[in-house]
Amino acid sequence: MAKILGGIGTSHVPTIGGAYDRNKQNDPDWTPLFRGYEPVKSWLEHKKPDVLVFFYNDHATTFFFDHYPTFALGVGVEYAIADEGLGPRAVPPLKGHAGLARHMADALVNDEFDLSVFQDLPIDHGVHSPLTMFWPPSPDWPGKIVPIEINVLQHPIPTPARCWKLGQAVRRAVLSYPEDLKVVIVGTGGLSHQMNGERAGFNNEKWDQKFLDLIARDPKKLVAMRHADYIRLGGTEGAEEIMWLAMRGALSPRAKKIHQNYYLPMTTAMAVALFEEPVRKGRASRKASARNPA
Amino acid sequence: MNPQLKGVEKLEGTYLFDLAASAKALRLNRFLHGFTVPINRALFKGDPEAAFDKAGLSAEERRMVRELDWAALMRYGASFFCLEKLGRVKGVSNPEMVAGFRGESLKEFLKTRNVPGAR
Repeated sequence: MAKILGGIGTSHVPTIGGAYDRNKQNDPDWTPLFRGYEPVKSWLEHKKPDVLVFFYNDHATTFFFDHYPTFALGVGVEYAIADEGLGPRAVPPLKGHAGLARHMADALVNDEFDLSVFQDLPIDHGVHSPLTMFWPPSPDWPGKIVPIEINVLQHPIPTPARCWKLGQAVRRAVLSYPEDLKVVIVGTGGLSHQMNGERAGFNNEKWDQKFLDLIARDPKKLVAMRHADYIRLGGTEGAEEIMWLAMRGALSPRAKKIHQNYYLPMTTAMAVALFEEPVRKGRASRKASARNPA
Repeated sequence: MNPQLKGVEKLEGTYLFDLAASAKALRLNRFLHGFTVPINRALFKGDPEAAFDKAGLSAEERRMVRELDWAALMRYGASFFCLEKLGRVKGVSNPEMVAGFRGESLKEFLKTRNVPGAR
Protein backbone atom coordinates (compact mmCIF):
# COMPACT_ATOMS: atom_id res chain seq x y z
CA MET A 1 0.00 0.00 0.00
CA ALA A 2 1.09 3.59 -0.53
CA LYS A 3 2.42 5.43 2.48
CA ILE A 4 2.98 9.07 3.36
CA LEU A 5 6.50 9.83 4.59
CA GLY A 6 5.98 13.47 5.47
CA GLY A 7 5.20 16.90 4.15
CA ILE A 8 6.77 20.12 2.95
CA GLY A 9 5.38 23.63 3.20
CA THR A 10 7.16 26.13 0.98
CA SER A 11 6.79 29.54 -0.60
CA HIS A 12 6.63 29.55 -4.39
CA VAL A 13 7.50 33.14 -5.39
CA PRO A 14 9.06 32.98 -8.90
CA THR A 15 12.36 34.50 -7.73
CA ILE A 16 13.12 31.21 -5.90
CA GLY A 17 13.25 29.40 -9.25
CA GLY A 18 14.96 32.43 -10.75
CA ALA A 19 17.75 32.27 -8.16
CA TYR A 20 18.23 28.57 -9.00
CA ASP A 21 18.22 29.21 -12.76
CA ARG A 22 20.77 32.02 -12.39
CA ASN A 23 23.03 29.90 -10.10
CA LYS A 24 22.85 32.39 -7.24
CA GLN A 25 23.89 29.93 -4.49
CA ASN A 26 27.10 31.87 -3.74
CA ASP A 27 25.50 35.31 -3.98
CA PRO A 28 25.23 36.56 -0.35
CA ASP A 29 21.77 37.97 -1.14
CA TRP A 30 20.56 34.45 -1.96
CA THR A 31 22.75 32.09 0.10
CA PRO A 32 20.34 32.09 3.10
CA LEU A 33 17.58 30.83 0.79
CA PHE A 34 19.67 28.02 -0.74
CA ARG A 35 20.96 26.94 2.69
CA GLY A 36 17.41 26.79 4.00
CA TYR A 37 16.45 24.21 1.38
CA GLU A 38 19.52 21.99 1.88
CA PRO A 39 18.05 19.88 4.72
CA VAL A 40 14.88 19.32 2.66
CA LYS A 41 16.93 18.24 -0.35
CA SER A 42 19.01 15.84 1.80
CA TRP A 43 15.89 14.39 3.44
CA LEU A 44 14.36 13.67 0.03
CA GLU A 45 17.63 12.15 -1.24
CA HIS A 46 17.60 9.88 1.80
CA LYS A 47 13.88 8.99 1.78
CA LYS A 48 13.61 8.65 -2.01
CA PRO A 49 9.86 9.23 -2.40
CA ASP A 50 8.25 8.02 -5.63
CA VAL A 51 5.67 10.79 -5.80
CA LEU A 52 5.21 14.32 -4.50
CA VAL A 53 1.56 15.35 -4.24
CA PHE A 54 1.36 19.14 -4.64
CA PHE A 55 -1.28 21.53 -3.33
CA TYR A 56 -0.46 24.66 -5.30
CA ASN A 57 -2.07 27.56 -7.04
CA ASP A 58 -2.03 28.52 -10.67
CA HIS A 59 -1.33 32.21 -11.41
CA ALA A 60 -3.79 32.85 -14.27
CA THR A 61 -1.37 30.92 -16.46
CA THR A 62 -2.83 27.46 -17.08
CA PHE A 63 -6.34 28.61 -16.27
CA PHE A 64 -8.08 31.89 -17.05
CA PHE A 65 -11.01 33.66 -15.41
CA ASP A 66 -13.44 32.55 -18.11
CA HIS A 67 -13.49 29.28 -16.13
CA TYR A 68 -11.34 29.27 -13.02
CA PRO A 69 -11.40 25.95 -11.14
CA THR A 70 -11.73 26.00 -7.36
CA PHE A 71 -9.96 22.62 -7.10
CA ALA A 72 -8.41 20.82 -10.09
CA LEU A 73 -6.52 17.53 -9.98
CA GLY A 74 -3.89 16.71 -12.61
CA VAL A 75 -4.19 13.12 -13.85
CA GLY A 76 -1.71 13.27 -16.74
CA VAL A 77 1.63 11.54 -17.34
CA GLU A 78 3.47 14.73 -18.29
CA TYR A 79 3.03 18.46 -17.70
CA ALA A 80 4.95 20.99 -19.77
CA ILE A 81 6.63 23.90 -18.00
CA ALA A 82 4.27 26.83 -18.61
CA ASP A 83 5.24 29.95 -20.52
CA GLU A 84 4.51 32.87 -18.16
CA GLY A 85 5.58 35.60 -20.56
CA LEU A 86 9.29 34.93 -20.98
CA GLY A 87 9.18 31.43 -22.44
CA PRO A 88 9.33 28.33 -20.22
CA ARG A 89 12.14 27.70 -17.71
CA ALA A 90 14.89 25.43 -19.01
CA VAL A 91 13.90 22.42 -16.87
CA PRO A 92 12.36 19.16 -18.10
CA PRO A 93 8.58 18.69 -18.27
CA LEU A 94 7.13 17.48 -14.96
CA LYS A 95 6.27 13.77 -14.82
CA GLY A 96 2.83 12.85 -13.55
CA HIS A 97 1.91 9.63 -11.74
CA ALA A 98 -1.30 8.89 -13.64
CA GLY A 99 -2.04 5.67 -11.73
CA LEU A 100 -2.09 7.33 -8.33
CA ALA A 101 -3.82 10.43 -9.72
CA ARG A 102 -6.67 8.43 -11.31
CA HIS A 103 -7.12 6.51 -8.09
CA MET A 104 -7.20 9.81 -6.19
CA ALA A 105 -9.84 11.18 -8.58
CA ASP A 106 -12.03 8.12 -7.91
CA ALA A 107 -11.41 8.26 -4.18
CA LEU A 108 -11.93 12.02 -3.81
CA VAL A 109 -15.12 12.19 -5.88
CA ASN A 110 -16.55 9.22 -3.96
CA ASP A 111 -15.51 11.02 -0.76
CA GLU A 112 -17.69 13.98 -1.94
CA PHE A 113 -14.81 16.19 -3.16
CA ASP A 114 -16.14 16.79 -6.67
CA LEU A 115 -13.06 18.45 -8.11
CA SER A 116 -12.32 18.99 -11.76
CA VAL A 117 -9.56 17.01 -13.45
CA PHE A 118 -7.05 17.96 -16.13
CA GLN A 119 -4.68 16.01 -18.36
CA ASP A 120 -1.66 17.47 -20.13
CA LEU A 121 -1.83 21.16 -19.23
CA PRO A 122 1.34 23.20 -18.64
CA ILE A 123 2.09 24.06 -15.00
CA ASP A 124 3.52 27.34 -13.72
CA HIS A 125 5.86 28.43 -10.93
CA GLY A 126 3.32 27.50 -8.24
CA VAL A 127 4.82 24.00 -8.44
CA HIS A 128 8.28 24.23 -9.96
CA SER A 129 9.71 27.46 -8.54
CA PRO A 130 10.48 25.82 -5.17
CA LEU A 131 10.75 22.27 -6.60
CA THR A 132 14.17 22.85 -8.18
CA MET A 133 15.52 23.86 -4.75
CA PHE A 134 14.76 20.52 -3.07
CA TRP A 135 14.20 18.00 -5.92
CA PRO A 136 16.39 19.27 -8.75
CA PRO A 137 16.47 17.53 -12.12
CA SER A 138 19.82 15.86 -12.76
CA PRO A 139 19.25 15.68 -15.63
CA ASP A 140 15.61 14.55 -15.21
CA TRP A 141 13.29 14.85 -12.18
CA PRO A 142 13.96 12.27 -9.45
CA GLY A 143 10.31 11.14 -9.45
CA LYS A 144 6.71 11.96 -10.32
CA ILE A 145 4.13 14.43 -9.10
CA VAL A 146 0.37 14.68 -8.66
CA PRO A 147 -0.69 18.35 -8.86
CA ILE A 148 -3.80 19.67 -7.11
CA GLU A 149 -4.61 23.26 -8.05
CA ILE A 150 -6.45 25.46 -5.55
CA ASN A 151 -8.00 28.80 -6.53
CA VAL A 152 -6.56 31.54 -4.34
CA LEU A 153 -6.76 34.28 -7.00
CA GLN A 154 -10.45 35.01 -7.54
CA HIS A 155 -12.75 35.30 -4.53
CA PRO A 156 -14.68 33.35 -3.40
CA ILE A 157 -11.77 31.01 -2.73
CA PRO A 158 -12.18 27.80 -0.68
CA THR A 159 -12.22 28.29 3.08
CA PRO A 160 -9.28 27.30 5.29
CA ALA A 161 -11.50 24.57 6.80
CA ARG A 162 -12.34 23.20 3.35
CA CYS A 163 -8.65 23.03 2.40
CA TRP A 164 -7.92 21.17 5.63
CA LYS A 165 -10.69 18.67 4.81
CA LEU A 166 -9.35 18.30 1.27
CA GLY A 167 -5.99 17.41 2.80
CA GLN A 168 -7.65 14.78 4.99
CA ALA A 169 -9.47 13.32 1.98
CA VAL A 170 -6.22 13.24 0.00
CA ARG A 171 -4.63 11.33 2.89
CA ARG A 172 -7.40 8.71 2.71
CA ALA A 173 -7.05 8.56 -1.07
CA VAL A 174 -3.27 8.08 -1.03
CA LEU A 175 -3.28 5.51 1.79
CA SER A 176 -5.87 3.39 -0.05
CA TYR A 177 -3.71 3.10 -3.20
CA PRO A 178 -2.68 -0.57 -3.51
CA GLU A 179 0.81 -0.07 -4.94
CA ASP A 180 3.77 0.29 -2.54
CA LEU A 181 4.51 3.94 -3.24
CA LYS A 182 6.37 6.36 -1.01
CA VAL A 183 4.56 9.70 -1.08
CA VAL A 184 5.41 13.15 0.26
CA ILE A 185 2.78 15.92 0.42
CA VAL A 186 3.75 19.46 -0.54
CA GLY A 187 1.81 22.70 0.03
CA THR A 188 3.12 25.84 -1.65
CA GLY A 189 2.49 29.58 -1.26
CA GLY A 190 2.86 32.46 1.19
CA LEU A 191 4.01 33.51 3.59
CA SER A 192 3.10 37.18 4.13
CA HIS A 193 2.90 39.32 1.00
CA GLN A 194 0.55 41.61 -0.83
CA MET A 195 0.81 42.35 -4.54
CA ASN A 196 -1.88 45.01 -5.02
CA GLY A 197 -2.82 48.53 -3.97
CA GLU A 198 -0.96 51.02 -1.83
CA ARG A 199 -0.62 48.28 0.80
CA ALA A 200 1.52 46.26 -1.67
CA GLY A 201 4.82 45.21 -0.14
CA PHE A 202 3.14 44.50 3.20
CA ASN A 203 4.88 41.87 5.35
CA ASN A 204 4.41 40.67 8.91
CA GLU A 205 7.31 38.64 10.22
CA LYS A 206 5.72 38.22 13.64
CA TRP A 207 2.63 36.62 12.10
CA ASP A 208 4.76 34.48 9.76
CA GLN A 209 6.65 33.05 12.74
CA LYS A 210 3.39 32.39 14.56
CA PHE A 211 2.01 30.64 11.47
CA LEU A 212 5.12 28.44 11.25
CA ASP A 213 4.62 27.50 14.91
CA LEU A 214 0.87 26.85 14.67
CA ILE A 215 1.02 24.82 11.45
CA ALA A 216 3.08 22.27 13.34
CA ARG A 217 1.74 22.51 16.88
CA ASP A 218 -1.89 23.58 16.64
CA PRO A 219 -3.11 23.70 13.01
CA LYS A 220 -6.78 23.67 14.13
CA LYS A 221 -6.31 27.31 15.20
CA LEU A 222 -5.35 28.17 11.62
CA VAL A 223 -8.25 26.13 10.25
CA ALA A 224 -10.72 28.17 12.32
CA MET A 225 -9.53 31.50 10.92
CA ARG A 226 -11.31 33.35 8.09
CA HIS A 227 -9.75 34.71 4.91
CA ALA A 228 -10.18 38.24 6.27
CA ASP A 229 -7.89 37.25 9.17
CA TYR A 230 -5.23 35.88 6.82
CA ILE A 231 -5.44 39.01 4.64
CA ARG A 232 -5.21 41.39 7.60
CA LEU A 233 -2.29 39.51 9.15
CA GLY A 234 -0.39 38.37 6.06
CA GLY A 235 -1.60 40.48 3.12
CA THR A 236 -4.00 39.56 0.31
CA GLU A 237 -1.60 36.97 -1.12
CA GLY A 238 -0.87 35.66 2.39
CA ALA A 239 -4.18 33.86 1.89
CA GLU A 240 -2.13 31.32 -0.09
CA GLU A 241 -1.29 29.78 3.27
CA ILE A 242 -4.47 27.70 2.99
CA MET A 243 -2.43 25.38 0.74
CA TRP A 244 -0.14 24.66 3.68
CA LEU A 245 -3.31 23.72 5.61
CA ALA A 246 -4.23 21.19 2.91
CA MET A 247 -0.72 19.71 3.19
CA ARG A 248 -0.92 19.58 7.01
CA GLY A 249 -4.39 18.04 6.82
CA ALA A 250 -2.93 15.21 4.75
CA LEU A 251 -0.42 14.37 7.51
CA SER A 252 -1.14 12.55 10.73
CA PRO A 253 -1.43 14.54 13.98
CA ARG A 254 1.86 12.93 15.05
CA ALA A 255 3.90 14.37 12.17
CA LYS A 256 6.81 16.41 13.53
CA LYS A 257 8.34 19.55 12.07
CA ILE A 258 12.04 18.70 11.76
CA HIS A 259 13.30 21.77 9.87
CA GLN A 260 12.29 25.27 8.89
CA ASN A 261 13.82 28.31 7.24
CA TYR A 262 12.57 31.88 6.92
CA TYR A 263 13.98 34.57 4.65
CA LEU A 264 12.38 37.92 3.84
CA PRO A 265 14.60 39.74 1.34
CA MET A 266 12.10 41.66 -0.84
CA THR A 267 8.28 41.53 -1.08
CA THR A 268 7.44 37.91 -0.25
CA ALA A 269 8.40 36.05 2.92
CA MET A 270 10.15 32.90 1.69
CA ALA A 271 9.66 30.04 4.10
CA VAL A 272 10.10 26.30 4.03
CA ALA A 273 9.11 23.75 6.67
CA LEU A 274 9.71 20.00 6.62
CA PHE A 275 7.43 17.55 8.44
CA GLU A 276 8.20 13.90 9.07
CA GLU A 277 5.75 11.16 9.94
CA PRO A 278 6.80 8.87 12.78
CA VAL A 279 8.45 5.74 11.40
CA ARG A 280 6.52 2.67 12.49
CA LYS A 281 9.19 0.14 13.25
CA GLY A 282 8.45 -3.48 12.46
CA ARG A 283 10.06 -6.36 14.35
CA ALA A 284 12.83 -6.73 11.72
CA SER A 285 13.83 -3.07 11.71
CA ARG A 286 13.79 -2.96 15.55
CA LYS A 287 16.23 -5.85 15.59
CA ALA A 288 18.37 -4.10 12.99
CA SER A 289 18.47 -0.86 14.96
CA ALA A 290 19.37 -2.80 18.14
CA ARG A 291 22.35 -4.27 16.32
CA ASN A 292 23.33 -0.90 14.84
CA PRO A 293 22.42 1.75 17.40
CA ALA A 294 22.41 5.21 15.85
CA MET B 1 -21.22 39.69 0.83
CA ASN B 2 -18.78 36.82 1.32
CA PRO B 3 -18.66 36.27 5.10
CA GLN B 4 -15.05 35.07 4.80
CA LEU B 5 -14.06 38.58 3.69
CA LYS B 6 -15.96 40.72 6.19
CA GLY B 7 -13.55 43.30 7.54
CA VAL B 8 -11.24 43.41 4.51
CA GLU B 9 -13.02 46.59 3.35
CA LYS B 10 -11.45 48.36 6.34
CA LEU B 11 -7.92 47.68 5.07
CA GLU B 12 -6.62 50.70 3.19
CA GLY B 13 -4.88 50.32 -0.17
CA THR B 14 -6.23 46.82 -0.75
CA TYR B 15 -8.05 45.69 -3.90
CA LEU B 16 -9.53 42.23 -3.70
CA PHE B 17 -9.91 40.40 -6.98
CA ASP B 18 -13.46 39.10 -6.78
CA LEU B 19 -16.14 38.19 -9.31
CA ALA B 20 -17.16 41.83 -9.80
CA ALA B 21 -13.58 42.90 -10.60
CA SER B 22 -13.13 39.81 -12.73
CA ALA B 23 -16.26 40.61 -14.78
CA LYS B 24 -15.37 44.29 -15.16
CA ALA B 25 -11.82 43.61 -16.38
CA LEU B 26 -12.41 40.31 -18.21
CA ARG B 27 -11.45 41.67 -21.65
CA LEU B 28 -8.33 43.40 -20.30
CA ASN B 29 -7.25 40.37 -18.26
CA ARG B 30 -7.81 38.11 -21.28
CA PHE B 31 -5.53 40.37 -23.31
CA LEU B 32 -2.84 40.24 -20.60
CA HIS B 33 -3.22 36.48 -20.15
CA GLY B 34 -2.62 36.20 -23.90
CA PHE B 35 1.06 37.06 -23.30
CA THR B 36 1.56 33.41 -22.32
CA VAL B 37 1.49 32.75 -26.09
CA PRO B 38 4.59 33.91 -28.07
CA ILE B 39 2.63 35.07 -31.13
CA ASN B 40 0.62 37.52 -28.99
CA ARG B 41 3.81 38.89 -27.43
CA ALA B 42 5.33 39.38 -30.88
CA LEU B 43 2.28 41.30 -32.12
CA PHE B 44 2.22 43.53 -29.02
CA LYS B 45 5.95 44.25 -29.24
CA GLY B 46 5.83 44.97 -32.97
CA ASP B 47 2.53 46.85 -33.21
CA PRO B 48 0.81 47.53 -29.88
CA GLU B 49 -2.14 49.34 -31.46
CA ALA B 50 -2.86 46.32 -33.69
CA ALA B 51 -2.74 44.09 -30.59
CA PHE B 52 -5.18 46.45 -28.81
CA ASP B 53 -7.49 46.39 -31.86
CA LYS B 54 -7.43 42.61 -32.02
CA ALA B 55 -8.35 42.40 -28.32
CA GLY B 56 -11.00 45.13 -28.68
CA LEU B 57 -9.60 47.17 -25.78
CA SER B 58 -11.31 50.46 -24.86
CA ALA B 59 -9.49 53.80 -25.04
CA GLU B 60 -8.99 53.78 -21.26
CA GLU B 61 -7.64 50.22 -21.27
CA ARG B 62 -5.21 51.10 -24.08
CA ARG B 63 -3.94 54.17 -22.26
CA MET B 64 -3.25 52.27 -19.02
CA VAL B 65 -1.40 49.49 -20.84
CA ARG B 66 0.51 51.90 -23.12
CA GLU B 67 1.68 53.99 -20.16
CA LEU B 68 2.19 51.00 -17.82
CA ASP B 69 0.01 52.81 -15.29
CA TRP B 70 0.20 49.99 -12.74
CA ALA B 71 -1.86 51.74 -10.05
CA ALA B 72 -4.69 52.56 -12.48
CA LEU B 73 -4.65 49.05 -13.97
CA MET B 74 -4.97 47.58 -10.50
CA ARG B 75 -7.84 49.89 -9.53
CA TYR B 76 -9.58 49.06 -12.82
CA GLY B 77 -9.70 45.36 -11.94
CA ALA B 78 -6.62 43.88 -13.59
CA SER B 79 -5.40 40.76 -11.80
CA PHE B 80 -1.85 41.16 -10.50
CA PHE B 81 -1.05 37.78 -12.02
CA CYS B 82 -2.11 38.98 -15.46
CA LEU B 83 -0.23 42.25 -14.99
CA GLU B 84 2.82 40.16 -14.08
CA LYS B 85 2.82 38.83 -17.66
CA LEU B 86 2.76 42.40 -19.04
CA GLY B 87 5.67 43.15 -16.70
CA ARG B 88 7.67 40.24 -18.14
CA VAL B 89 6.97 41.34 -21.74
CA LYS B 90 7.99 44.94 -20.97
CA GLY B 91 11.01 43.97 -18.84
CA VAL B 92 9.50 45.45 -15.67
CA SER B 93 10.32 43.57 -12.44
CA ASN B 94 7.78 42.78 -9.71
CA PRO B 95 9.43 45.20 -7.23
CA GLU B 96 9.04 47.97 -9.82
CA MET B 97 5.36 47.10 -10.27
CA VAL B 98 4.85 47.05 -6.50
CA ALA B 99 6.53 50.47 -6.28
CA GLY B 100 4.03 51.64 -8.91
CA PHE B 101 1.07 50.39 -6.83
CA ARG B 102 2.46 52.29 -3.84
CA GLY B 103 3.02 55.47 -5.84
CA GLU B 104 6.77 55.26 -5.24
CA SER B 105 9.83 55.08 -7.43
CA LEU B 106 11.68 51.76 -7.50
CA LYS B 107 14.57 53.43 -5.65
CA GLU B 108 12.27 54.63 -2.86
CA PHE B 109 10.63 51.23 -2.57
CA LEU B 110 13.92 49.34 -2.39
CA LYS B 111 14.94 51.48 0.62
CA THR B 112 12.08 49.81 2.54
CA ARG B 113 13.34 46.27 1.80
CA ASN B 114 15.68 44.04 3.83
CA VAL B 115 17.83 42.89 0.89
CA PRO B 116 17.43 45.36 -2.01
CA GLY B 117 19.78 43.33 -4.22
CA ALA B 118 17.68 40.16 -4.08
CA ARG B 119 15.85 40.69 -7.37
